[in-house]
Amino acid sequence: MLYQLALRNIWRNRRRTLLTLSAMIVSSALLILALGVFSGMLRDMLASATEQYYGHLVISSKGYQDDRDMFRHFPADLSLDAVLAQDAILGTSARLRSFGLLSHQQNSSPAELLGIHAAQEKLVTSLQEALVAGEYLADNDHNGAVLGSGLARRLNVGPGDELVFVTQAADGSIGNDLLRVAGIFSTGDHGHDNSLVLVPLAWLQSVLVLPGQIHEIAIRTDQPLNAAALAQRYKSNLPDSLEILDWGQMLPEMREVVASYDVSRMIIVTILYIATGLGILNTFFMSVMERTREFGVLMALGMKPAQVRSMVLLETFLMGTLALIFGVIIGVALSLYMALVGIDLSGTLTPITYAGGTILPRLHAVIETSNIIIPAGCLLLISLLAGFLPANRAARMQPVVAIREE
Amino acid sequence: MVISIWTKTTVIFFTILFQLPGLAWALDLSELIRKVEQQYTGQSSISKVEMTVVTGHWERHLSMESWSLGREHFLVRILSPAKEKGVSTLKVEREVWNFLPKVDRVIRIPPSMMGGAWMGSHITNDDLVKANHIDQDYDFSLLDEDEQQWTIMGIPKPEAPVIWGKIVYQVLKDQLVPLQIEYYDEEDVLVRRILFDDVQTIGDRTVPLKMTVLPLEKPQEKTIMHYRDLRFDVDLNKAFFSLGQLKRRR
Repeated sequence: MLYQLALRNIWRNRRRTLLTLSAMIVSSALLILALGVFSGMLRDMLASATEQYYGHLVISSKGYQDDRDMFRHFPADLSLDAVLAQDAILGTSARLRSFGLLSHQQNSSPAELLGIHAAQEKLVTSLQEALVAGEYLADNDHNGAVLGSGLARRLNVGPGDELVFVTQAADGSIGNDLLRVAGIFSTGDHGHDNSLVLVPLAWLQSVLVLPGQIHEIAIRTDQPLNAAALAQRYKSNLPDSLEILDWGQMLPEMREVVASYDVSRMIIVTILYIATGLGILNTFFMSVMERTREFGVLMALGMKPAQVRSMVLLETFLMGTLALIFGVIIGVALSLYMALVGIDLSGTLTPITYAGGTILPRLHAVIETSNIIIPAGCLLLISLLAGFLPANRAARMQPVVAIREE
Repeated sequence: MVISIWTKTTVIFFTILFQLPGLAWALDLSELIRKVEQQYTGQSSISKVEMTVVTGHWERHLSMESWSLGREHFLVRILSPAKEKGVSTLKVEREVWNFLPKVDRVIRIPPSMMGGAWMGSHITNDDLVKANHIDQDYDFSLLDEDEQQWTIMGIPKPEAPVIWGKIVYQVLKDQLVPLQIEYYDEEDVLVRRILFDDVQTIGDRTVPLKMTVLPLEKPQEKTIMHYRDLRFDVDLNKAFFSLGQLKRRR
């Protein structure tokens, strides 16, 4: 019976109810969209750092990631099956790294070469999706090179052109050999676009005189934000000379960005919902005040204060639920649109590289359950909180006084 | 009136008297350092050099042939080991090129790589380019003097494009050859020491034929250059120091 009363009360003043409802729906829908876009930006940043270069986890000799010392290498035939017997792993890539001078005719530039197996590397990083010219390394290519667009511009090369690489090999000799440009990538991250070159692993091993050796194994997991826990789990299976680092350890700034994102998400939710909550509070206070006489009559007829309180709370709860349903539907729909289509801002903005990741000039949402559950849960909570004060007031009324009120 | 003229003349005389030695010293020091820095090149030179490079990971012996003309032209070619035979470096003014016979290509060293090791040694490309300008880029002062040697300090001139924060030379007085040169970085930390040894007279010059470069951050590492056959004032002209000559294999 309370339920029916509450429903009727809600519909008695439709205009007021609809106004309040729309405020609740719009605020929750926009919040879901905003958090989705925010998450999308963060995901882009994290992906640019990990999925274009580092990988989510990296196995290397102890200390290698601090100084990138060429001599901290280990045999490529290390068996990973015992270490990574986990279905969370999407791909692993063995890599050898070298810094040296890359040259084409009159132009030369320092470069970072990453010796890789194309088939393996594609499972870990996604540079193949960032190609602007030419092709990715073919599996059987013996001296192909995929280089960043900035580097290609500085050297004035395109696909098919020849490059000379010179560096100091591990035996002290002057390692040098020819490469042929296979493709050019552009990620928006100036650091990588201006210096990174992917070359076949066997080619680089021969130039550096490091046969069968690698510097690191990069790993991609299906749960990037869970990488630290995975690293912890694999650590015990590794040989003593090796270590496993997650992206948070390689990019501590990025870890802080993720942490600060969680805080700023709560701040946004709080501010927006305080405003929404005040609106709901206002509406219900008005409706309770208007119905003073009615409550008096109900109580005179024998309704207990607790029942009156429940009835008012039920009204706010029903409105909250209704707003929640529509808010989530609209919010998810908007997020879906932003996820599938997005808004391209590259005409007015350039990519920003920050904390090792790149924020791309686009508005693009990702749908995460926490971005829906948090706004929805908070909306319900805030509508109950806002309903509590008016409900209490209604429950504490003296029937005799209330009936007389005009 | 007469007295005042005399006074003035006396003042001027003494001023000149006291300033001249200082002036003369400043010129001398710069000239001395120029001589020290160009002891191996002279007007022109041809030499055979043996270079030993020791690092924590490997030890290498290279033999090289080099030609120089004045302070701006320099060509060196590796004779052994076989793997690097024919690798050459050409320096003309402030540019450095390397020739790599294995791939048959010449590459220019960009300004950003000038600090890189030359031929895998502890000598940088910058040393090749800038050492010859040290007397122009630094101001020198006499730190100490005793029976045998001068200790001379070089501080970079305000606008000079230099890599060292301070250079301290110890120069033997009687032979006018360096005993040791110490290089300090911009934080005034001693980072490199070059020791000279095996002083010989070649023609009318006295030259230490052995040079040991010690990078002090890596105590176990060193590069030793030993001149085996050094001849000065040979018949060379600027045309010899060309990219064509760089690529010529022996």
